[in-house]
Amino acid sequence: MKTRLRSASQIRSAVLMAIVVFGTAPIHASAGQDPQPQNPQTQTQQAQNPSPDLKSPGFQEFSDCVQKYVQLHKSVESTVPKLKSTNEPELIAAHQKILARKIRAARAHAKRGDIFTPAAKEAFLKAISSEFQGPQAPHAKATIKQGAPLKRIHLHVNEIYPESIPHTSVPPTMLQNLPKLPEEVAYRAVSSDLVLLDVKANLVVDYLPGVLPVEAMSGQ
Amino acid sequence: MTFGRRFFLIGLFLVLATGQRADEFKFPLKSNSVRFAAIGDMGTGDKPEFETSEQMNEQRKNFPFDFVLALGDNLYGGHSPADFEKKFASPYKALLDAGVKFYAALGNHDDASERFYKPFNMNGANYYSFKKGNVHFFALDSNYMDPKQLDWLQKQLESAGSNEWKICFFHHPLYSSARKHGPATDLRLLLEPLFVKYGVNVVFAGHEHIYERILPQKGIYYFTEGSSGQLRTGGLDRSSITANGFDTDRAFMLVEVADDQMYFETVSRTGKVVDSGVIQRQQTAGAAKP
Repeated sequence: MKTRLRSASQIRSAVLMAIVVFGTAPIHASAGQDPQPQNPQTQTQQAQNPSPDLKSPGFQEFSDCVQKYVQLHKSVESTVPKLKSTNEPELIAAHQKILARKIRAARAHAKRGDIFTPAAKEAFLKAISSEFQGPQAPHAKATIKQGAPLKRIHLHVNEIYPESIPHTSVPPTMLQNLPKLPEEVAYRAVSSDLVLLDVKANLVVDYLPGVLPVEAMSGQ
Repeated sequence: MTFGRRFFLIGLFLVLATGQRADEFKFPLKSNSVRFAAIGDMGTGDKPEFETSEQMNEQRKNFPFDFVLALGDNLYGGHSPADFEKKFASPYKALLDAGVKFYAALGNHDDASERFYKPFNMNGANYYSFKKGNVHFFALDSNYMDPKQLDWLQKQLESAGSNEWKICFFHHPLYSSARKHGPATDLRLLLEPLFVKYGVNVVFAGHEHIYERILPQKGIYYFTEGSSGQLRTGGLDRSSITANGFDTDRAFMLVEVADDQMYFETVSRTGKVVDSGVIQRQQTAGAAKP
C-alpha cells in the first residue's frame, strides 16, 4: 500500500510539474486566499477613532454596579447546593431555576438602568459608536447579522432569558473595548439591545435598548 | 494550448493539489493514532440526526473512533431535561453506550448550562483544552470571545508542545463560502494572528449547515461541518477558497491523526464518502501551501 502511494505521489509530482510548465500557474497564483480584514488596531488609528476609555467615569460606575450585583449573586449562590458536572440534566435545570428564583426575589425591585446607569449608558454609546462607525464596522455588523435573533424581542429586567431564543454574538472586537466582566455575567446582543445576562441563572440583569445599529439587522 | 486541454489540466491540477483521490484513500488505523469524529449543528432531535448518528455507528465498525468533537448548536430550542434526552442522549445512545466521549463547543443556540452536562465533557467551562496522544485540542466559545478567553488561549497555545498537533474547534467559521452567514471576519481579526503565531494546524467549525473544506489560509486548514442534524440544501456557494464541499445531505467527519499525518474522511448520512484526504502536519506556522 505504502509503495503504491509513494508511486502515486511521484506521478502526481510529475504531472504537477508538467502543468506548471504548461502555464497554468498564473491562474492559481492569486487564487485560494480569502481577502483579509485589516487589523482593527491599525484601522482605528488610521481613522483617528480612539479606543474608548475603559477608566471613564461611566464605565467605572458600571463596573461598580456590576460588582454589587455579583456580590448579591454570590451571596445567593452560597445558599444553593454547588452545581457540578452531572449526567442528569434535571439537576442542571433545577439549580438554574432555584438560583434564578432566589436572585429575582433578592432584587425584586430591580429596573432597567440600575446597572446601565445614565453615565454608563453614555460611555457604552460612545464605545458602540466607535465600533460601528470605525473601519472595523463591516466586520462588527457582519457578526450581528450572522447571528440570531434579529427580530424584535421584548426583554424585561430580572426575568429569565427566553431559552428557545438563540444568542447573537457580541462583536469580538467590541468586547475588547468594553469593561471586563466577572464570570457570573456576560454581555449579549439581542436584536438591537445590549444585554447584561447572568449566565448561571440565565437572568436578564439589565439592558440597553436599541443601541446596536439597526441597519445591521436589515435584510434578515 | 487548446481551451479544452487547458481546462482539463486545471481540473487535474486541482484534484492533485487538494488531496488524495477517494479511491486511494484508506485510514492507516495505527495502534497509537488519535481517532475521532466531528459533528456540528446536530441537536434537532429530528429523524435526520438519528439517521446520521446511525451512520456514525456503522462507520465505527471499520473505523473505531474514540471520541467526537461537537462543534456547537448541540441543542436547538429548549434546554429542558427532555430536550437533552431527545436531542442528544437518545440519538447518540449507541455511541455513548460504547464508551465514545463527546467534547462540545457552544453554539449560538446553546445554553451556557450545557457546560455542566457531563457527557459534553466541558467540566463547567465554556472553553477548555485537552490532549489525546500527540494532539492538543482547544475548544473555544466563539459566541463570546472576550479578552479573558483570548488571554487564556494565548497562554494555552504558548505552552503547547511544538511537536504536537494543535487543533482548535468552535462554532463560527473564520472562513466560509456558505450563503447564509459567511465568514466570521470580526472573530478572525482576533483569532487568526494567534493561530498563525503559535502554529495551529487545523480548525473545525460549524454554524453553516453545510460541509466545506477550505484551502489552507495562512498555512492553516479549515473545515466547516455544520450539517450533522441541520441541512441547508444548496447552501454552499463554492468560491476560490473552497477545496471541497457538500450541501445535499447531512454529513459528519472521521479523522485519524497518525504521527505527522492527519487522515480525514467526510461521510454522508447514507454512507457516501464525499471528501477525503491527508494533511501533513505543518512544521512551522504558515507552512501549508495554499
